[in-house]
Amino acid sequence: MSQGIVCTEGCFIKCKNFFCEHGQKLSELLHLCSNVIEKISKGDTRQKIDIKVERYSLQRLIDSINRLSREIEDLINLNHELAIGICEHFDVLRRLQEGDFSAKASEDSPIEIVKMLGELINKLRDRFIDYIDKIKEQHREMVKIYEQERVILSSIGVAILITEEDMTVEFVNEEFERLTGYTKKEVEGKMKWSDFISEDVLDKVVEYHKLRRISPSLAPNQFEIKIKDKSGNIKDALITVAMIPYTKKSIKSIIDITERKKIQEQLLHSQKMEALGVLSGRIAHEYKNILTGVLGFASILNNKIQDENLKKYVQRIVEAGERAKELSNTLLAFSRKEEISVTTKVSLNKFLVHYSDFIKSIIGKDIELKLNLPETEVLYEIEPTHLEVILLNLITNARDAMPEGGEVILSLNEIYLNMDYQYTHPLVKPGDYVVLSVSDTGVGMDEETKQRIFEPFFTTKPKGKGTGLGLSTVYGLVKRYNGHIHVYSELGKGTTFKIYLPQKIKKSINSIDKEKLKGSETLLIVDDDAHVRQYLASFFKEYGYQVYEAENGEKAVEIFKENKDKINLCLVDFVMPKMSGIEVKKVINSINPNTKVAIMSGNPVNLKDFITIEKSISPEEILFKVRTILDEKE
Amino acid sequence: MADRLLDYSGLKCPYPILKLSAQYPQFKEGEIVEVIADCPTFEKDIKAWCQKLGKTIINIERREEKIKVTIRI
Ligand SMILES: Nc1ncnc2c1ncn2[C@@H]1O[C@H](COP(=O)(O)OP(=O)(O)OP(=O)(O)O)[C@@H](O)[C@H]1O
Ligand SMILES: [Mg+2]
Repeated sequence: MSQGIVCTEGCFIKCKNFFCEHGQKLSELLHLCSNVIEKISKGDTRQKIDIKVERYSLQRLIDSINRLSREIEDLINLNHELAIGICEHFDVLRRLQEGDFSAKASEDSPIEIVKMLGELINKLRDRFIDYIDKIKEQHREMVKIYEQERVILSSIGVAILITEEDMTVEFVNEEFERLTGYTKKEVEGKMKWSDFISEDVLDKVVEYHKLRRISPSLAPNQFEIKIKDKSGNIKDALITVAMIPYTKKSIKSIIDITERKKIQEQLLHSQKMEALGVLSGRIAHEYKNILTGVLGFASILNNKIQDENLKKYVQRIVEAGERAKELSNTLLAFSRKEEISVTTKVSLNKFLVHYSDFIKSIIGKDIELKLNLPETEVLYEIEPTHLEVILLNLITNARDAMPEGGEVILSLNEIYLNMDYQYTHPLVKPGDYVVLSVSDTGVGMDEETKQRIFEPFFTTKPKGKGTGLGLSTVYGLVKRYNGHIHVYSELGKGTTFKIYLPQKIKKSINSIDKEKLKGSETLLIVDDDAHVRQYLASFFKEYGYQVYEAENGEKAVEIFKENKDKINLCLVDFVMPKMSGIEVKKVINSINPNTKVAIMSGNPVNLKDFITIEKSISPEEILFKVRTILDEKE
Repeated sequence: MADRLLDYSGLKCPYPILKLSAQYPQFKEGEIVEVIADCPTFEKDIKAWCQKLGKTIINIERREEKIKVTIRI
């Protein structure tokens, strides 16, 4: 049985006899119909009229209302599905737009277009994420490249700085810190490029800086400047500048050429002295010849003339001639080139003690003479008179520089000048030296004077006081012993002259019988430098040795494997590309632990537990050393 | 106490839910919002909406025709 429906008025409208509509009031039925329609119109589609009537027109009305309800329900459902779909997709798009990529649209809507919209949003999102990932990847790559470049810039052995248009320094590297003494922190963003430039070149640099920003071709991209470091020291530098593309910034690399300049000056100075030596030597020589004539004839004249008055004049000629001859001799001492070969060894310690006693009387009471001698005795092969001339000139100069009195320190020591020293002093050979120095607390000299003191006749002293030949004589003498002179001077503070005299290499080898250097053993010489290798090989062959040569470690090992029972000694270069000398030794000794391996090096090296040979010593010495190694008992 | 009150009385579905969707992005996350409506299908809509968008329904209250739904954004 179907259920009854209660109308709004609260009365039953269901007929007791299901098939009879007369049991109902028609008006009640119509009321019911309009109530239901009204509810449907509000969206409540649960309303159904569950009545069957006999009258056809009424039954049609009821059926139509029920159908209307169903269709409106479908429409409403569709509407809601659409609305919810739109709301949801809208929300997903909004979250994506805000950067929340965890948002994902659902793809399960029963409405095809909403479902497709969801799929579309998701595809778009995936593509977007892909795109972002790629950008991130590229970004990471760029950051890597950026960091790599920064590290390269930072650690490169050239000072680098990047400046902005207003000269503010944006970046400096480690070498720049080293060059200027400032730290990165002190400089970057805080200091200006102009703070590092010496006043006398500042205008030029500022102008270049401005011009370059108008057009890079207006300013040179390489030029010399003077850099001012933290403690105010001025350094000569070579600077290379380039604009950084797309910016107003420029990058500058700076090389300190102070040392290079000094070396150039040393070379120039030595060339000048050389030229002066040649010139003055020639003149002195010519004069001496002329003077021989003058003096010769003057003495003849002296003998022939009886008149005492005239004789006086002739004697004046002779005296003047003698003075001129002496002068010529001094000049010749300056310009003379031949090495002096002396065989007498002088104990410099003893010499200086005696000499200072003697000189004290000359320098006067206002000047204190101090002697600074090493404990060990220093022997040097030198003509004592040469030593006297050198010291006399230096000490009288010191005295002249201290009219008010002061202190002269005479000191002696021995040093070894290594390769590093040679880099900055190309004219000095590395080796053992005796250093004699004379320091004073006098007036000192300016740079200009210092440059010229060794020139013959250069003097700052009043006429009649100095001839300007003192230091030229010292220079000439020191050169003849293959020595050199260093001068340190500060205006108002004092001057130090340092005389470096080379110790001769002990030529004990010369006394060794050549026969004793000979041998018939087999050697393997390993050196990547073909000259050295071939030279040594030919030398050893000459002395009877069998020689194998290898230009690198691999070759050496190969040759050694084939001849391991024959080879008695391997001479292996210390520094070689790929396999180093020590690695070669390891491999060779792993094949035959008894094979002797000596490491050869260009510079003296101190390798523990290795037999080493310096390549710079003479071939005879190498031979001697090899002989000693071969004859050594295991 | 709710942070906000939205009154959609008189609006027919699905307007209220569309309006809510458009308005809620301005709200802060975690805010408590009361929505009042009188459309009979609103309850169904807001339930579906909360489920799809991951919001929580805290309370539903009916008074005559009207319905008041409290949700957390
Ligand atoms: N110890 C010193 N302190 C300051 N200036 C010095 C010193 N030694 C040399 N000079 C400078 O070098 C110049 C050249 O010295 P040098 O010994 O060659 O000649 P001189 O001393 O002037 O004359 P001479 O030695 O021939 O009598 C000096 O005139 C002086 O200007
Ligand atoms: Mg002098």
